[in-house]
Amino acid sequence: MSTKTLERRDFLKIGAAGLAVLATGPTLAAKALREASSSASDSNEESAHSWAMVIDQAKCVGCGHCIQACRAYNDVSPDMEWTRLVEGEKLGGQQTFIPIPCMHCEDAPCVHVCLVGATTSRPDGIVMMDYDKCIGCRYCEVACPYGVRSFNWEKFDGDNPAVPTWGQPEVKRRPRGVVEKCSFCYQRIDRGLELGLKPGVDQAATPACVVACPMKARTFGDLNDPESEVSKQIAGHASYRLREGLGTGPRVYYLPVHGKSEEEVVS
Amino acid sequence: MISTRIQRHKLLFPGWVVSLGILVIAGLIAGIIVLVRGLIVTNLSDLVPWGLWITLDLSAIALSAGAFTLSALVYLLGLKELQPVARTAVFIGLIGYSMAMMMLFMDIGRPDRLWHALIYWNIHSPLWEVTMCICLYFSVLILEVIPIFGDADFMKGRWPRLSLRMTKVHYLAPFLAIAGLCLSMLHQSSLGATYGILKARPIWYRPGMAVLFIVSAAVAGPALVVLASRIASKITPKAKVKEELLDQVAKYIGFALLAYLYLRFWDAFSMSYTYEPARSEGLNMLTQGPLSFNFWVGEIILGIIVPSVILLSSRLRSHKSLQMLALLLVVGGLVAFRWDINLVGQLVVYGVLPQEMLPRYTQYTPSLIEILVAIGVIAYGVLAFTLGVRYLKVVDHQSETGHESHKKESTVIPAAVSTD
Repeated sequence: MSTKTLERRDFLKIGAAGLAVLATGPTLAAKALREASSSASDSNEESAHSWAMVIDQAKCVGCGHCIQACRAYNDVSPDMEWTRLVEGEKLGGQQTFIPIPCMHCEDAPCVHVCLVGATTSRPDGIVMMDYDKCIGCRYCEVACPYGVRSFNWEKFDGDNPAVPTWGQPEVKRRPRGVVEKCSFCYQRIDRGLELGLKPGVDQAATPACVVACPMKARTFGDLNDPESEVSKQIAGHASYRLREGLGTGPRVYYLPVHGKSEEEVVS
Repeated sequence: MISTRIQRHKLLFPGWVVSLGILVIAGLIAGIIVLVRGLIVTNLSDLVPWGLWITLDLSAIALSAGAFTLSALVYLLGLKELQPVARTAVFIGLIGYSMAMMMLFMDIGRPDRLWHALIYWNIHSPLWEVTMCICLYFSVLILEVIPIFGDADFMKGRWPRLSLRMTKVHYLAPFLAIAGLCLSMLHQSSLGATYGILKARPIWYRPGMAVLFIVSAAVAGPALVVLASRIASKITPKAKVKEELLDQVAKYIGFALLAYLYLRFWDAFSMSYTYEPARSEGLNMLTQGPLSFNFWVGEIILGIIVPSVILLSSRLRSHKSLQMLALLLVVGGLVAFRWDINLVGQLVVYGVLPQEMLPRYTQYTPSLIEILVAIGVIAYGVLAFTLGVRYLKVVDHQSETGHESHKKESTVIPAAVSTD
């Protein structure tokens, strides 16, 4: 009997020690968590820019030029689309379209769930992929509310049908087994800024899809700059974002067809 | 008469091992095809990126939960008499986690970068926590299994000193039980949270996911241990079971099933009240749609209600084959739950537009290659257990000496710790 009680008490002691170890663990984790989350959410204040895209549905005719230009400049496989075209409702017999690139969410679910941190939020708002880190678990694909991520189920070798008609690749082709997505053409923005160009104004510093759109349905620019075209469009028109209720804070704004026409009638 | 029976037993074992070996090799070949040709050979897609392999992965981990639940009963609640059952559970746990790791290795796009998961950390991700816990827990399981290997006759015969040393790892047993309990409670539940935190998929986005995952694991894990012990004891005289021990655990499973049913009921019922896009469609898919047979028959009726009746009635439970059937149903119910829950969130494709009220649906059926790889991994698990029963005496409730010495050893440690 005495052995039994002794054992029980000692096991409780061990248990207490275990709990103590466990208690210090989360404190450290919480500290790291605070640092990590503060760096994620305060990032906008650190950067001079806050990139965003406005898509005017009244202008989009669904021609798909944006998809082709994107395919060429980012060397995207014919099996996937970094910006896809969804048919919206019919208004007055007119088909409307919703082009869907990566939303570059302010609070991006994919950034939260990537276990190796292969996808991150840049201070200027662009959600980046590190194709050298990605292990291809596809958790981000499952977590993305907009379905804008594509997995490289097989190696993309061979010719890109969009090259050279629509442009020349500016980034490296991704290997088999990683997830990829729209990058707001970060390479054009970064290089453009280095050259003193203004993204959204100068074509060489603006995402390929925006430049390629024959209807000028897409606008790109800096939300931190009140004079930028995107800031003015968002301020001057009714706009909406996709699945806004999720609180992801998409950086792609849509100007609806009817909302737009009302605005124009007033002005 | 007796001699023919022995003759049959002699043939049974090699035949069994060879057939399992063939399945393992088939799985291995399929696995090599996957590695060479890539995941294009699967029926997975960007709409359903997680399929059969994830289900098997989740099931293998959940069914290994017997290791931590039984170890906790033995070392924390002081139910010493269950020690031999815990021994079986720990061995099954080691097999289960190695199966899960094989499955993960096949499932990720870049298996060559598996080590990234340990080097590059994103502590926000539930999968990061799962990865860390699985690796640490696997180490714990290895330490827990070392004495079993040390106890084996071939070790004692050939390397008596090493064998003695390995047996002494038993000193650590209570510590390992606590570490194992903590690590298991963390990742068994956060595997559910892996789905439960995804706001993008409303049918998954609920706090109950983490709870349901750990509770279902704590029910089905011990069920597999008792089932495997019983099957082993039926087939080979090498497995010696004590009826009352297994019966005790089986009864516990019966009660646990009721608790699990209670949680399942409120979880589903609370979702049924108001329409919520994608969530309501998901629930309909489970209760009336393509997954409804799995859900009602596989998960609820055969997976919970029937076995709980059998296991809680001492008259029904006393029929050995009926009890084994009940345990098998519990295990099947868990796999059905993991399959359904993983698929339901992906088969409902939520539209992205505010005005889009009707979600679209997609489909998924695993490809032959996926099935072959899965069968190969399962066959490996069964083969490993078979060899364990045969050579490591993992199902042995009779050899009292070993357990007596464990008892003495375990009383010694705390003193040793305090002097340090």
